[in-house]
Amino acid sequence: MKIEVCEVNKSFKQQQVLNQISLTIAGGRIFCLLGASGSGKTTLLRIMMGAIPADGGSVTVGGIAVPNRQLLAEMGYMPQNEALYEELSAWENLKFFAGLQRQSRKTFAADAEALLEIVDMAACKNKLIRDCSGGMKKRISLAVALIHKPKLLVLDEPTVGVDPVLRRKIWLYLRQLRNEGTTIVVTTHVMDEVTQCDDAALLRNGHIIARDTVKNLIAQTPDGNIEELFFIDNQSEAEAPLC
Amino acid sequence: MLSIVKRILGQMKNDKRSLGLLLFAPLLVLTLLFFILSDSSYVPKLAVYDMSEKFVAELENHATVSEETEKPEAADYLEDNEIDALIWSDSAGTHIELLEKNSKSAVALEAIQDTNKALQPTQKELIIDYVYESTGDNQLDSLSFVFLGVISFFFVFILSGMSFVRERFGQTLERMLMTPIRRIDVIGGYTLGYGLLAAVQSVVIILYAVYVLQLQVEGSVALCTLVMILMAFSAVSVGALVSIFANNELQLVQFIPVIIIPQIFFSGLIPIDTIPFGLGNLCYLTPIYYGCTALEMIMIQGKGVVEIWPWLAGSVVFIGVLFLANVTALKKYRRL
Ligand SMILES: Nc1ncnc2c1ncn2[C@@H]1O[C@H](COP(=O)(O)OP(=O)(O)O)[C@@H](O)[C@H]1O
Ligand SMILES: [Mg+2]
Repeated sequence: MKIEVCEVNKSFKQQQVLNQISLTIAGGRIFCLLGASGSGKTTLLRIMMGAIPADGGSVTVGGIAVPNRQLLAEMGYMPQNEALYEELSAWENLKFFAGLQRQSRKTFAADAEALLEIVDMAACKNKLIRDCSGGMKKRISLAVALIHKPKLLVLDEPTVGVDPVLRRKIWLYLRQLRNEGTTIVVTTHVMDEVTQCDDAALLRNGHIIARDTVKNLIAQTPDGNIEELFFIDNQSEAEAPLC
Repeated sequence: MLSIVKRILGQMKNDKRSLGLLLFAPLLVLTLLFFILSDSSYVPKLAVYDMSEKFVAELENHATVSEETEKPEAADYLEDNEIDALIWSDSAGTHIELLEKNSKSAVALEAIQDTNKALQPTQKELIIDYVYESTGDNQLDSLSFVFLGVISFFFVFILSGMSFVRERFGQTLERMLMTPIRRIDVIGGYTLGYGLLAAVQSVVIILYAVYVLQLQVEGSVALCTLVMILMAFSAVSVGALVSIFANNELQLVQFIPVIIIPQIFFSGLIPIDTIPFGLGNLCYLTPIYYGCTALEMIMIQGKGVVEIWPWLAGSVVFIGVLFLANVTALKKYRRL
């Protein structure tokens, strides 16, 4: 599912968070939105999904303008917080959100088992969320976003607090989903995760300061460290693409 | 919508403490209130002047009696000696002078009436005078339905308000709204889920009040339960609405004095007609007013559906308005 963001502005009171953002995200790829904490990544994701309105500009997903309720059935969203019910078990959380997505009851059990296996939570599927550690919650939250096999997966800082071994496993699974045709949008403020993605954009001061394939971005830096791109001043800030 | 109802009941099942508080805390408070109000062990202090020996002897079975040889001036005498009532008689009848209407006066009058009953037949009329006339009705009677309504409202309000605040800030609400669910189903599921819990609570409270505390109900107990359930539903909706204005749990608690206490004023504790500056009309904005008025009519006046339907309708309209307000408020999280 191709996402087109066109000249989007967003302010909260006096603070301008997004300034004339234009961005095209190709379908069937993993796209990474990179930016410091507070740079507006979550805000941009919310506008892309149609949760909050932009002050100006437009967003289409798969050619359909957001907000659109049918579109939401094809999206899986993992918010930055865990966004799980503390008094329910992992299994019950999965079941609840699968129900909201009108996922068929017949396939649910098998799908849920498979997903919990991937995020390494099969053993404690009946544990209440309030008894789980931060990393466990993060993994369950990811499973919830995946339960209805969405065509577009939106993950807000998905691997914060997940240990390196499991992190690799999760990325492996995300790339497998990509190969099956899922479009994935991830945000992160951890640079080394970018290498797992196909494309990336850097967000700073409300502007996209760089946008390219990860390979090309790395080639632009002197020592292959994408972090450097944040220090190269005002690189291409002026020449935002018009659409 | 049903998924949400099921989820709420599931959450409650795993959160035994909240469930216990919802069901048993109101009973505890009611029981305490019952004992505080009944005050049955109090022996009234009465003074008599120039009454028959037979009367005094019988009265002493019910009260502490002191006999005066001169007729005292009631106002000063009652206050200075902490006497609840002064009794004397003349050709018009038996005079009873009391300080003011309160629960002590009620006990004193009861003692005197019991005495009269024991000495049947009474020839003389009872003439009751208060030093301080107050406009209030018998407050003892009104307390039962006021607290029945307020206590149930209070616990349900906190439960639904808290869980909605947590949904907002834990981002589960955001996640829920990023599925194709309709906003009306979110609020509907919420209202129904917590409404069901609240309804169970109402039934428990009513049954406990009527059959354990032996609270007097003139009218139908089933009708009382219906009124309580309607009130509980409005409490769920008020809780959800107020949570919009709270940024965290603490702020929700801070809303309690603003939301709950003024409603107690309009619940029938103070007769609406006596409230100055037309402030009494504010009662129409408070769900507790509709519920408590209906409860009063059923429990004390023994009225039925025919007489109380305007208040039932008021409750239903109130719930409807709050429902729409809540559905609209969700636009903040998703525009359609
Ligand atoms: N609902 C809101 N009201 C006011 N300010 C907000 C709101 N949401 C985000 N912001 C502000 O917008 C900026 C970007 O926030 P966010 O998109 O969450 O950043 P990030 O996800 O990159 O950490 C922050 O400075 C934040 O304070
Ligand atoms: Mg964020």
